[in-house]
Amino acid sequence: MAEKELKKIVGPGNVLTGPEALEEYAGDGLFAPAVTPRCVVRPGSVEEVQAVVKWADTTMTPLVPVSSGAPHFRGDTVPGAAGAVILDLKRMNRIVRVDPRNKLAMVEPGVTFGELQAELAKSGLCAYLPLAPRANKSVIGSVMEREPITFAAHHWDSCDPLLCAEVVYGTGDRFRTGEASGPDTPEEQWEMDRVQMNPFGHSHVDFQRLISGAQGTMGIVTWATVKCNYLSRVSRALMVPSATLQPLIDLMYLVVRCRLGGKLFIVNGLDLACLLGGGSREVKKRGKSLPPWVLFISFEGYGPLPEDKVAAEEAEFREMAKQGGLEPVGKVPGATAAAILKLLSGPSAEPYWKTRFKGGFRDIFFLTTLDKTPEFATAVPEMAGRYGFPAGDIGVYIQPIVQGTSCHAEFTLYYDGADAAGTAAVKRLDREGVAELAGMGGFFSRPYGAWADAAYRRAPGTLAMQRKLKEIFDPHGILNPGKLGFRELKAEEVR
Amino acid sequence: MKLTREEYRALEATVGPEYITQEPVIMDTYNQVWGNKFFFDAKHSVRPAAVLLPASAEEIAAAVKACNKYGILFKAFSSGFEYLSLSLAHSKGILFDMRRMNRILEIDAKNMRAVVEPYVSVYRLQLEAARHGLYTGRIGVGYSAGVIAAECCHHGCQHTMVSTSGYGRNVLGVEWVLPTGEILNPGTGESGGDLFSADGPGFSLRGILRGRTGANGGHGVITRASVKLYPWYGPKEWHQKKQPGEPLSRGQLDRVPDGYRVLVPTFPDLESQLEAAGEVCRTEILYGLSIAMLATGVVPEGNDEDWAWARKADPRMADNFRQSLVLVMGAPSKRMLDYREKAARAITDKWGGRFLPEFNEPKALARAFIDLIWSTGVPSLRITGDFLPSSSSPDGSPDMLKRLALAEQQIVARYEGQGAFFQKGKKAVTWRPEEHLSIGAQGISTALYDPYDPMSLKAAREFIDELFDPRGKLKRFGVPSRGGCLQIEPVTHVHQNWGHLYDNYDVWMMKIKKVLDPDTVGDWTAYIPPEYPDYARDGDYVLPSYGKEEEL
Amino acid sequence: MAWQDYVHDMQRCTRCSYCKWIPYRYMRQTDFIQGCPSISRYLWHAYAGSGKFNMAYSLQQGRIEIDDTFLDVLYKCHMDGSCDVSCKVQQDIEPLQLMQELRIKCVEDGALVSAHMIVIEGLRKEDNMMMARRADRGKWAAGLDVKDLTGDTAEVIYHAGCRYSYDEELWPVARAGVNLLRKAGVDVGIMGGDETCCGGRAYELGYAGELTKYAEHQIETLRTAGVRAVVTPCSDCYACFKVLYDKIGKKLEIEVYHITQYLDKLIKEGRLKLSKKVPLNVTYHDPCHLGRLGEPWVHWQGKEIKVMGQMIVHDPPKQYRRGAKGVYETPRDILKSIPGLELVEMYRIKEYAWCCGAGGGVIDAYPDFATWTGAERLREAKAVGAEAIVSACPWCKRNFLDAAKETGDRIQVYDIIELVERAV
Repeated sequence: MAEKELKKIVGPGNVLTGPEALEEYAGDGLFAPAVTPRCVVRPGSVEEVQAVVKWADTTMTPLVPVSSGAPHFRGDTVPGAAGAVILDLKRMNRIVRVDPRNKLAMVEPGVTFGELQAELAKSGLCAYLPLAPRANKSVIGSVMEREPITFAAHHWDSCDPLLCAEVVYGTGDRFRTGEASGPDTPEEQWEMDRVQMNPFGHSHVDFQRLISGAQGTMGIVTWATVKCNYLSRVSRALMVPSATLQPLIDLMYLVVRCRLGGKLFIVNGLDLACLLGGGSREVKKRGKSLPPWVLFISFEGYGPLPEDKVAAEEAEFREMAKQGGLEPVGKVPGATAAAILKLLSGPSAEPYWKTRFKGGFRDIFFLTTLDKTPEFATAVPEMAGRYGFPAGDIGVYIQPIVQGTSCHAEFTLYYDGADAAGTAAVKRLDREGVAELAGMGGFFSRPYGAWADAAYRRAPGTLAMQRKLKEIFDPHGILNPGKLGFRELKAEEVR
Repeated sequence: MKLTREEYRALEATVGPEYITQEPVIMDTYNQVWGNKFFFDAKHSVRPAAVLLPASAEEIAAAVKACNKYGILFKAFSSGFEYLSLSLAHSKGILFDMRRMNRILEIDAKNMRAVVEPYVSVYRLQLEAARHGLYTGRIGVGYSAGVIAAECCHHGCQHTMVSTSGYGRNVLGVEWVLPTGEILNPGTGESGGDLFSADGPGFSLRGILRGRTGANGGHGVITRASVKLYPWYGPKEWHQKKQPGEPLSRGQLDRVPDGYRVLVPTFPDLESQLEAAGEVCRTEILYGLSIAMLATGVVPEGNDEDWAWARKADPRMADNFRQSLVLVMGAPSKRMLDYREKAARAITDKWGGRFLPEFNEPKALARAFIDLIWSTGVPSLRITGDFLPSSSSPDGSPDMLKRLALAEQQIVARYEGQGAFFQKGKKAVTWRPEEHLSIGAQGISTALYDPYDPMSLKAAREFIDELFDPRGKLKRFGVPSRGGCLQIEPVTHVHQNWGHLYDNYDVWMMKIKKVLDPDTVGDWTAYIPPEYPDYARDGDYVLPSYGKEEEL
Repeated sequence: MAWQDYVHDMQRCTRCSYCKWIPYRYMRQTDFIQGCPSISRYLWHAYAGSGKFNMAYSLQQGRIEIDDTFLDVLYKCHMDGSCDVSCKVQQDIEPLQLMQELRIKCVEDGALVSAHMIVIEGLRKEDNMMMARRADRGKWAAGLDVKDLTGDTAEVIYHAGCRYSYDEELWPVARAGVNLLRKAGVDVGIMGGDETCCGGRAYELGYAGELTKYAEHQIETLRTAGVRAVVTPCSDCYACFKVLYDKIGKKLEIEVYHITQYLDKLIKEGRLKLSKKVPLNVTYHDPCHLGRLGEPWVHWQGKEIKVMGQMIVHDPPKQYRRGAKGVYETPRDILKSIPGLELVEMYRIKEYAWCCGAGGGVIDAYPDFATWTGAERLREAKAVGAEAIVSACPWCKRNFLDAAKETGDRIQVYDIIELVERAV
């Protein structure tokens, strides 16, 4: 019955019910309990999305929005309970507009970073990327989830690079955030140089903040405009190797203070080895030769004097490093800065870099400030040891965000799914370890799966307010129920 | 409407008898502010039933709970410089004067943030932050304005937004007494950490904190905020000096401080000026930018002196003035400054700009620097007594803002021609870039009128009616959010007339208001009402139907 | 101008709050950026300059009456003019003049502060503001070898003022002033027991008639004495002679000097030689009445007109008194010429100096407020590392001494005359 209704909305070819198709959406491997959806719907337009949402609202059907391709890793796109319908937005994959003058692009949810990057390059632009996202990662999926970008100086706000968005709320109402709303269509707005650029508002509310970081629980984004950057005409990169993390953190503070450089982050040797490619053995080998810690920075040449810009920034950086007794280098045994810079200009090559070492991986990430990262970098391996996970199999990635006022600290537990003990340890770390880290001040601002328990235990006021707001935009709780601190729909509620 | 004895006692118990008043003499100093004459047709808005001077979030929370119990409106303000900070929908309302909450609680120099209470002014934080090599942006309402008002509560723009952003983008944490009396600490504040993120877990409650225009006290009281700071390349302390016998307005620095450079290029026409402005922003070399607002001259001490100067001024100077930019660049080293200056000069050359000596001598540059960094050079409110920030308030692309400004100029010119407004002569187009133009810019243009001159006041209202007509030709440029912000139109009327054109945003906002404030005790005169009064939905200018009736 | 004549000023007060602070250009240390003691101490907006505009407008509009609160707000103010100079950085309006006229109105309406009534009663009976006997007025000069101008003539009359005449602790300063003049060979005399109040303080309390009365008396006295100049060590008296008499159309026809101006002249002419070392690290406190309130009066009659559409200007142009022409450099020049003395400036100086706390009748009616304001100034003096605070007015010295005693502060308090005396 449901399928029939849905087929009427999106066309028969776009409602998938085959077991194989459903299986793709039924879990994320290890962590979320596998729940097979009732069907997968693939709308092709905002009108279709609205119709599906209205249908779900009427029938009290859980609707799980998905825009990236499988496999999924964080559990946010896995149904929380039986009876859910997957709303797969991959068919909506237009790069609607690239605006080189204002450095932005309008994309639909099905557009991946690889596709966007290629299109932007034609206009002399490039996208702000997270650290080597997987090839089928949706741009909107990443941006709406506040994934950190590597270009720290340009990450002004936690929502960056999101500008405006069109969203369908749980009521089926369509809404455009920020400057994008109004009596005109986007096309009509373009004619008067309104380019859906400014994220503020309307009036007394920043609506885009209510849908970002929401794991699809507050609305379904059908297009968004994102900030882009100039494609560098010349660029250089450097690495600063260090045996310990602290000196690099000290250097990082100097760099972020004056918003220097382009791509900027710290990784440990293992993460760097995985990034650089190869199979498990190669990663292992390279990991041994790489320095324990590396600060990576690029200098991006654009504007009227690209060479001068790069030269000045590089010289500035070298002087900062010297102050801390550090030596920036173009290469270390096993890696060159130039090769890393190349990797950062697009999505990860296949296989996804986090799967190269052991096949399985689990990210644990949270926000903190740079000065606290050495403490976490010590605590996590120590904690892992307690849970029986090898400390040497942990990747570390420290990404300054919001221009260095805080940072994203990501610990990747590389494991082999066939190793029962290791897998069990990862599972425990994912729950108990996360609680410990939250107790140490790690802020799980994007709490996926089981992390929500640890995060919301410390945020009862936030949760209470979020629940009230959710009731406004999704009064029947049909959008991705069970995620964050929101409840599952009970079986008897589903009509 | 006076409070009953029981109501007063309940409020008094929260702050103590010394810090509450219902003396008419004192309360009538909490309802007179510029803009009131335009908005309420009188200098006085409704007199509050009491004014409180709380010292903590807990005191405020207790008082707010009493407000819920007795159905008393409340609103908090810091400096109280605009109508919206003091207006109350009706006279059974109280004001929280936040001046006792005036501590800078923390400057975390490493992580570039400050935690402040509401009465900490922008300039005070700038003085303290500078000692740590840091700077906070400001909004153009003078140095008394509170950091929290500027960052969390209220609309405003500034010349340094190109590098210091604004509009709530700098908020890293808040302590927020909700209209129910509950205290909310979104983000790390609640999780027990330092106040470095107000986002999450999950979606960010910053979404309901302020939006573009700020809630202006309409949804509770922000009692503490953590704000992002930016690098400051100037001295830890500075001393503006004047010569003996000169008026205080002449105080200035001898030269632009080390760590900064200022250039004032003048362009052959509007097109080249604006193209150069756009390019220099996108090159990411600017600390501050001003378009056609130079402040390179000596600040005149009064209107008479200003008028004497204007009569002597070379008319060609006005053209040069209008077609110039002030480019302020800052950097941690000479090397970086050299690069930035070289790039600025290259862009100037590209667009045919030149550097006129009178705008580029050291003292002129120092004056321009002071104006951009710390405060406006020429007091807008002195010239005629009042001003209207006009329609180019939407943020967006520079091209859109230029289009709007040019359309608006034709309208303004008519009123100026009638002598109803201060005649600025030929018009400039100006906008203030945000984040190196990566999120656009804010248009800014003003009309100066005298609210106590009936002809000027009438014209000002007609002008606004024309500009903000949701049926008019400017309706496509965005919601005139200043209706919910400065003294333009009643918020009720703005939201009612524009909401349906703009994705029914008002409907969602009303629901949010209801969630935050189920008893409607947070004053909504500069936010959104729980329901619309009985206006015609036609867009014609109206005076507010609230905020007037009172029993003295 | 009467208080109602300031209606347009009342309307044009924007509530920018600049009146509460020193002008931002001169803010340097965040502990010392407030300008107005009244709002700093009493917190409610009414106590600021802007609040007075608001109160006046409400009164004019019939929304409030003059009641005890009105008087409390109006009189818990030192009339020090800080709000006035800060406001006029931004605006063309006159907060201090309005406050003066409001006080005059209160007195005219019989709305009086009881402490002031006693003082004025004393003035009317005994010609002084110290509630002391007329007969004791000349005691401060007992034994001084100086001409008595009630029967003699001299080039210069030394007008000690009420505070110096009756505050026994300060007598040595008043006497030192005379001695210095005489040492420099100045032909100076005093009125002794026949000296009367200048009327300035009474005027500030709102008793305008007293100013006229004493102005006329002084004019007559000075004419009779045949002097060419009046020199006073009291800044209040100086501002009264120099500014207020002129304001009410009773300008003195002889030169008016504050003693610092006269001493400076004598030093620069080589008639007073400062040769002894005074090894002190001092800070100088600008008395309001010598500084911003000592700026000469500017007479203006004309009207507001509009130019360039709606720009409000005056015909003829009006020169606002913005405090710049007060006496600021002269006392500093003297201090700098004293060997061994180091002058360190406070954060609030000259036009934007913080008041000592004595002015505007506060010392009489609200002594705790006077002490509080004085203590704030001492705190500032110590913050810049001064061993001593030096002023040029007996009211300042008295109030600082009281504040130091009250707070247990051990900072030394001088009048500039004392330091010159030590250096000669």
